[in-house]
Amino acid sequence: MSLEEKKLNEDESLKLITEMISKAKSSYHSNGTGAIMWGIVIFFCSVFDFLQMQFHFYIGFDIWWLMWLALLPQFIMMFKYNKKKNFVSYEETTMSYVWWAFGASILMLMFFNSHYRPAHSESLFLMLFGLPTFITGGMFRFKPMIIGGMVCWILFVISLYTDFKINLLLMALSALAAWVIPGIILRKKCIREAQQ
Amino acid sequence: MEFKELDPILHSQLRLAVVSLLISVREAEFTFLKEKTNSTAGNLSVQINKLKDAGYIEVTKQFNNNYPQTICKITKKGVESFEAYVNALQSYMNPGG
Repeated sequence: MSLEEKKLNEDESLKLITEMISKAKSSYHSNGTGAIMWGIVIFFCSVFDFLQMQFHFYIGFDIWWLMWLALLPQFIMMFKYNKKKNFVSYEETTMSYVWWAFGASILMLMFFNSHYRPAHSESLFLMLFGLPTFITGGMFRFKPMIIGGMVCWILFVISLYTDFKINLLLMALSALAAWVIPGIILRKKCIREAQQ
Repeated sequence: MEFKELDPILHSQLRLAVVSLLISVREAEFTFLKEKTNSTAGNLSVQINKLKDAGYIEVTKQFNNNYPQTICKITKKGVESFEAYVNALQSYMNPGG
């Protein structure tokens, strides 16, 4: 009897099902590069904006537009990954909708702010930062991202009572908590797994 | 205690492995299934056709950058049969339950 036609007993069947589901689930993992890059850009823009206000200088353009430039390497990485991968997971599909919705919301909020310049609008960014981070962490049971999302929301509440300059530092802190630190943890985990 | 009959289409090593993989993902290429099941292309192809003929999976053939691609996706019937198979297995494992 060939292996493919081999009949299994009940124990073997359950073991095989568990093994295959676990193999499929472990096929999708992030190496954290995207999160680290995005986090560093937000951190840099926040700190740079703070320094501009603190030391009264202006570079001639809104530093936050760098955020969109930083998306270019992300798109290239995503394109390369999509070309290489040979499956589509449910989690990945859900996550891509969540992050596209996040990107669209950030873009709309930026336009809203440039139109109306409302007070404390930076707080809304903190609130938005927490959303996809918390969902991603929950979906993949990745605690550092769940905590990162919650940190963003705590910083959102704090930012309602602090001024714009301090809020820029809170944004830098949120970038570290939501993306840079979880990204580094993911990257270390990925390197460790690759070495095994 | 009455034991439920195990679906003969699923009660085979490679076919069960393929369906278990496909139940966990939205869709997968032939190469993914081959890699995860450690099977040969010929054998995998035969078993995929059996699953397709039973209506458990959908198979789409397409070209991507001039390379042929076979994409497999579990059907509603496939999901229901897999669930029934797991329930039947559980009745064997816990006959008193």
